[in-house]
Amino acid sequence: MEPYAVEVNNLHKRFGHIHALRGLSVQIERGITYGLLGPNGAGKTTLIRAIVGLLRPDAGTVRVLGQPMPDKRLMARIGYMTQNIALYEDLTVRQNLAFFAAMAGVVSRARQQIDEVLALVELSDRADSRVRELSGGLQRRCSLACALVHRPALVVLDEPTVGVDPQLRVQFWEHFHRLNAEGVTLIVSSHVMDEAARCHRLGFLRDGELLAEGSAADLLERSGCATLEDAFLHFAEQVAAVS
Amino acid sequence: MAAIRIATLARRVILQLLADRRTLALILIVPILVLTIAGALIRLEPQGVRVAVVLDDTGVTLPVGSRGAVNLGERLVAGLSGLNEHLAIERMEPDTAAALLEAGEIDAIVRLPADFSAQAVRTRSLTIPVVYEGSNPAVARLLGPLLTRAAIQAIASLSVIDTESVPEIVLDATYRYGSAEFDQLDYLAPVLIGLFVFMFVFILTCVSFLRERLAGTLERLQATAIRHYEIILGYMLGFAVFALVQALVILLFTIYGLRVHTVGNLATVFVVELLLALLAVNLGVFLSTFARNEFQVVQFVPLVVLLTAFLSGALWPIEAMPVWLKPLAWLMPLTYANFALRDVMIKGFGLVDIGPYLLALAGFAVLFVLIASLVIRRQAVS
Repeated sequence: MEPYAVEVNNLHKRFGHIHALRGLSVQIERGITYGLLGPNGAGKTTLIRAIVGLLRPDAGTVRVLGQPMPDKRLMARIGYMTQNIALYEDLTVRQNLAFFAAMAGVVSRARQQIDEVLALVELSDRADSRVRELSGGLQRRCSLACALVHRPALVVLDEPTVGVDPQLRVQFWEHFHRLNAEGVTLIVSSHVMDEAARCHRLGFLRDGELLAEGSAADLLERSGCATLEDAFLHFAEQVAAVS
Repeated sequence: MAAIRIATLARRVILQLLADRRTLALILIVPILVLTIAGALIRLEPQGVRVAVVLDDTGVTLPVGSRGAVNLGERLVAGLSGLNEHLAIERMEPDTAAALLEAGEIDAIVRLPADFSAQAVRTRSLTIPVVYEGSNPAVARLLGPLLTRAAIQAIASLSVIDTESVPEIVLDATYRYGSAEFDQLDYLAPVLIGLFVFMFVFILTCVSFLRERLAGTLERLQATAIRHYEIILGYMLGFAVFALVQALVILLFTIYGLRVHTVGNLATVFVVELLLALLAVNLGVFLSTFARNEFQVVQFVPLVVLLTAFLSGALWPIEAMPVWLKPLAWLMPLTYANFALRDVMIKGFGLVDIGPYLLALAGFAVLFVLIASLVIRRQAVS
């Protein structure tokens, strides 16, 4: 088995005159949580879309779980939570979960897995509510559940904890680490720096480039900064000075 | 203060629309396009009624002191020719006339037997046999009174027939298709059935697929193992259930509620509706990919529905259309559906008889499935 869940090599992507990804390369080991941090427009979502096979790069390669992307057969082993809620509002929570489970080929054990993930996101008592009846925070929990219901090998979460209360956020992260212990790899995009500290490795993105990557402690030591915000700014200035 | 708020809101609406160039273009272009085509069609010369006359009348020799031999049949035909500029009369042999009627190339056959004149003189009445093709009830409504007038004029020209008593004129009408009970609704109902099935399914799919794109669920769906053609087929199947229910309701209400006459098998009509619904789903998916918001998708509706209705031969026959419009008419799926539905409901044709139209519709359905799959595939992996 290859050691890396995701290998991105010299990825370039343009949208018109916007150079969203500029030769980005990153390797993400299996069984860790990798945090993508950066301001709006840094390229996080573009990178994520390339990893889950929704984007064809102009140059470079993406390999996921040892296979080049996009690969439809591989997508059943990936769980993807978009930045938008992206749920079927006219369906119930359970119906949404059943749908995405079926898309990943989970049919016979669907009910059990749905119940498990509902318990994880604490939506068991709202399983039969229509999504449009839920608050924004509850909808986001449902969206996360849809990304996890089929027990994927790679989970890609774009801003997963926005609108989630702090207590539940802690529970999510505990579950993420349990998933890591089972060999599941997570890629989490976030603005929240204290969540960044919970990731095994971090990648700082800005203007389509990877400024720096490493564990939180490693980045703080290399930058000589006390906080990850300062570390980010430090590396950004460093790259700007070089270019 | 209220005026300021109202004005500010109006300004915002204007700015929003000005920023949406595609909607602006559609607002301007769609009406012009539709009006151009509608104008060309409305200005068409009314289609003439094509009548074949089989004249076997040998005439009759009138009593001494009158004008000698006369041929009422000849006089009737001569009189008929000048009564209406939209009436095209052509004399021909019986076999030729029958073949043309069968092919739908003439609207009626007036066959005047050998003893037509003799019988008129003897019985003081005229019986005019007419065979209508029957698809279009408007023909009988036009031709019937004209024949009666021509007959009255022909008789009035003869002094031997007592003109103080009005001679009886009987139109002995038979119908190759349809019957005397058929009215204009019977003629239009097949077209309306096809149009409503097509229109509602198209609108439903267009809006639904746009909603899926805008809500982000399409992207999420495309990040799963489902393939693009599977998305199209899944949508088709899902909408087909409702399209079929709608098609059934429309059909049953048309037949039993509006009491529209139909000769053909309702199951065959249903097959045509099914094919039409399936291709409408895929056309809706395809066109929704060009819309970025609800404003734009709404503009597509009149563009597609009106043009389809105008050009499908429903209201104006294709053969009468301007040369530049005819190719467009043959590119409309509804054209083939109209031919099929009319052939079934008015002429009683079966599945085999409308096979070519079904093949065309199936071809369109497959084509739209392929195009829709390609388009969402290109949009997905951009």
